[in-house]
Amino acid sequence: MKKVTFPFTAIVGQEQMKQALILNVINPGLSGVLIRGEKGTAKSTAVRALAEILPEIEVVDGCPYQSDPHKADSLSPYCRELLEKGENLKSHFRKITVTELPISATEDRVVGTLDLEHALKHGKKKVEPGILAAANRGILYVDEVNLLDDHVVDVLLDSAAMGVNTIEREGISFSHQARFTLVGTMNPEEGELRPQLLDRFGLCVTIEGLRDPKQRIEVIQRRMAFEADPEAYVISCRKDSEALTERIRKAIELLPSVNVGDEMLDDIVHRSLNAGVDGHRSDIIILKTAKTLAAWRGRIQVESVDIDSAADLALPHRMRRKPFQEINA
Amino acid sequence: MEEGDFMKHQTRNLFPFAAVLGQEQMKLSLVLNAIHPGIGGVLIRGEKGTAKSTAARALSELLPRMENAVGESISAPFIDLPLSATEDQVIGSMDMEQAIVYGRAVLQPGILARVHCGILYIDEVNLLDDHLVDSILDVASTGINVIEREGLSSSHLSEFVLVGTMNPEEGDLRPQLLDRFGLCVDISGEKDPLVRKALLLSRELFDADTSGFRRRFDDGTALLRRQIGKAKELLAEVRIPSHLIQFIAEICNRNHVAGHRADLVIERAACAHAAWKERLEVSVEDITLVAPMALLHRMRNADAPDMPPPPPQPENREDDQKEAEESPETDDRQPPPPPESGEEESSSGQDAENSADNQEDERELPLPPPPSESIEEVHAVGDSFKVKRFRKDDLKHVRSGSGRRSRTRSMTRQGRYIKSSHRVVNNDLAIDATLRAAAPYQKSRHELQGDAQAIYIIKADQRGKIRERRVGSFMLFVVDASGSMGAQKRMQETKGAVMSLLLDAYQKRDKVAMISFRGRESSLLLPPTNSVDMAAKLLEEMPVGGRTPLPHALAETERLLERVLRKEPAVIPMAFIITDGRANAGLDSGKPPHEEALLMARRLGALFPQVHFIVIDTEPQNLIKLGLSRKIAEALGAEYLQTDDLKAEDLVAISKQQA
Repeated sequence: MKKVTFPFTAIVGQEQMKQALILNVINPGLSGVLIRGEKGTAKSTAVRALAEILPEIEVVDGCPYQSDPHKADSLSPYCRELLEKGENLKSHFRKITVTELPISATEDRVVGTLDLEHALKHGKKKVEPGILAAANRGILYVDEVNLLDDHVVDVLLDSAAMGVNTIEREGISFSHQARFTLVGTMNPEEGELRPQLLDRFGLCVTIEGLRDPKQRIEVIQRRMAFEADPEAYVISCRKDSEALTERIRKAIELLPSVNVGDEMLDDIVHRSLNAGVDGHRSDIIILKTAKTLAAWRGRIQVESVDIDSAADLALPHRMRRKPFQEINA
Repeated sequence: MEEGDFMKHQTRNLFPFAAVLGQEQMKLSLVLNAIHPGIGGVLIRGEKGTAKSTAARALSELLPRMENAVGESISAPFIDLPLSATEDQVIGSMDMEQAIVYGRAVLQPGILARVHCGILYIDEVNLLDDHLVDSILDVASTGINVIEREGLSSSHLSEFVLVGTMNPEEGDLRPQLLDRFGLCVDISGEKDPLVRKALLLSRELFDADTSGFRRRFDDGTALLRRQIGKAKELLAEVRIPSHLIQFIAEICNRNHVAGHRADLVIERAACAHAAWKERLEVSVEDITLVAPMALLHRMRNADAPDMPPPPPQPENREDDQKEAEESPETDDRQPPPPPESGEEESSSGQDAENSADNQEDERELPLPPPPSESIEEVHAVGDSFKVKRFRKDDLKHVRSGSGRRSRTRSMTRQGRYIKSSHRVVNNDLAIDATLRAAAPYQKSRHELQGDAQAIYIIKADQRGKIRERRVGSFMLFVVDASGSMGAQKRMQETKGAVMSLLLDAYQKRDKVAMISFRGRESSLLLPPTNSVDMAAKLLEEMPVGGRTPLPHALAETERLLERVLRKEPAVIPMAFIITDGRANAGLDSGKPPHEEALLMARRLGALFPQVHFIVIDTEPQNLIKLGLSRKIAEALGAEYLQTDDLKAEDLVAISKQQA
């Protein structure tokens, strides 16, 4: 039985978080979003609900690495083996998936390991793909990302850097594409993230509980309606969900034709410099985010407002802060 | 086989080396290593997002092609070592398939064999497990990999260029590992808006059309590869005049570097640089250009290296000064200029700006607070510094927890699988090792027992996984916030010291807790938490004033330690008691507060022999000393330190100590 998730469009408020998530769906090149906030602010709900509104991608049948049949460069070892045997790659369309990385996950489950059954039955080595394989071309979601075991963070950083997961363990030497949108949620009260991991998240939003009593009442009412009859509630929101999916689809189509003027580039660079950020990733991310925002807003020209919103999303967590200084949204 | 294919596909997606803008020193260090692998690799330190990895990976395209065993021309290997690599994969181990099918023990070559004549790239090298770094650096310096494991005994040549990148925010490399890297460069982001914009544009173009972008740089890449190839050929003929060898020795001497590796590295790098510039004799500039890269990580402090004046030329030659002025113009051998014009000037201007920035940072010392008689005040946090190591890594204890202060063998199934052993704990079977152990007997077992099973494994074959994880410690800070601490910047200094310890705690993922005491009582400011940030924030806001209720604080410490140890008996806490020891508020037992404090201290020391107590004396050095803190330390059985003692010993002392 499929578990019914609370619809994305029924989440009250938290516009910045919703926008950051949607932008990442439109453009996976934004490399993820970190959602920081108190407990009970619909962080996890929003990420899990995202699955419903994700667009479809074409994947090779049976490929554990979600290979794109049209990209010869990034075909998985599985697909290449099929091709070498002279077989054709069959493919189908399916929704992008959200793969969850539990914080108790062990390193071998994350990167992949030796397939025990195969080794015992056939005396041959075979890779048992890990979570990074399942997350390829999709969304990798880490709840409480600041509590993730240190060495798991290390391997995540390692593969996020190049979009490749390399396995060198247990007699296996193997690598496959591992491009994923990293979505993390965390409660800053439990400790901060390591700077290196923080930087890997393209965008960062800090959210708070809603202050407006009307909105709070709305939250309770919607939640109660959902819990009374989840399926009926999801159906009642279907129209909104479909409209959102359609808007995302259009933005994806529009994105490649978005232009950016030279003065906009100057603006981006100066914003980064004024904010005193480390490195250059912020420039790149602001530009990509601004383009994606323009597409989302149905334009093919990046405007100042796009850069404003993009900088708000991409800069706060990259500001050079004194050790332990707080991250200001 | 599969891996090779995939990596070939990957090179098609590499950002071309010729397109990397700025960061000239990093590019030069990589090129020099490609010309002369004997330099011993390069360590690139820098903030996140400064093209460290991009440049290092792009270097793989520049290595000259080489011949394999059957005379085919192949590209030099480039291996990216994942952090999750296991020891047997790096060094080599028995080939399981061969053993099972043919009953033969055949070596399956490891990464060190595959990387021969190529580049071994370790991203985030400071996060790699120490034992792996040790074995790799060992092979890197000898050029030979010796395998003694699983009944196999073998050795092979393994010469490679080691390239490591790291972000120092994530913790340091041990000094003796640092020393093994030939060169070291520090890089930071570009500050010049024009360069930044050019960078942004080229990245955007690359992302939009990767193969088109790469095609634009095909010529540049090919040219660089040819130039490196030519320099490699020339290298054998490059000579270094004897007065310049003295010059190198003088440089190393002046900068107090430990050992002789720096001399050798400078000599080799200078030769490589001369060859790169198509000269057959090493000049003074070759040396002055490469020396900072060889000295950076070997010096005691982070100041710019102190350069002796260049030696007088033995013959009548062109004036040094003139040559130096000319070199930028004759310099057609720099890594190629970026596509946009006007780039070069701006990037050199940026360097100057950078160093100016740094100086400014150093000058920005906190102002002394105005003397104040008010009862309660909040002092700023003084300068922080790098703290010394408190304990040697301890591998023998089995602990639970997560962090990176000490490495420890892990008894749970968490942690990094490093190698296998005969003992199987928690059913944590090392499948690969078990199969390898069983493999040689498969033929005979099949003959005996038939083919009912593909593989016969008996109990004796079983191997367990040894996992290792770093365990954070628990650090308790007991901070004296009484009025006497307010005088003479003492609180400021103390806060600086505690902040330094907190920074260290952050890098090692320690848990922290903080108790402060002033007036009549002590309070648990921060219960044990992983959030070092919280501790830092509280420290900053900590007010000072009132009497010194040291006995209270020690009683509070006792309660807290008891709670922590009941919950996690395996943790070895460190308790820092930061005070001038002048207890003047007691527990009302009738004894003077100071005696109470001594009694409490003795009790604490006896109760918790496993706790590492450290008393940091904040009593000023110049006044009449009462030495009260020392007495407390003695009663506790604690290490006694003054604020200055906390500072990390210099590099030389540490490497001598550990050699």
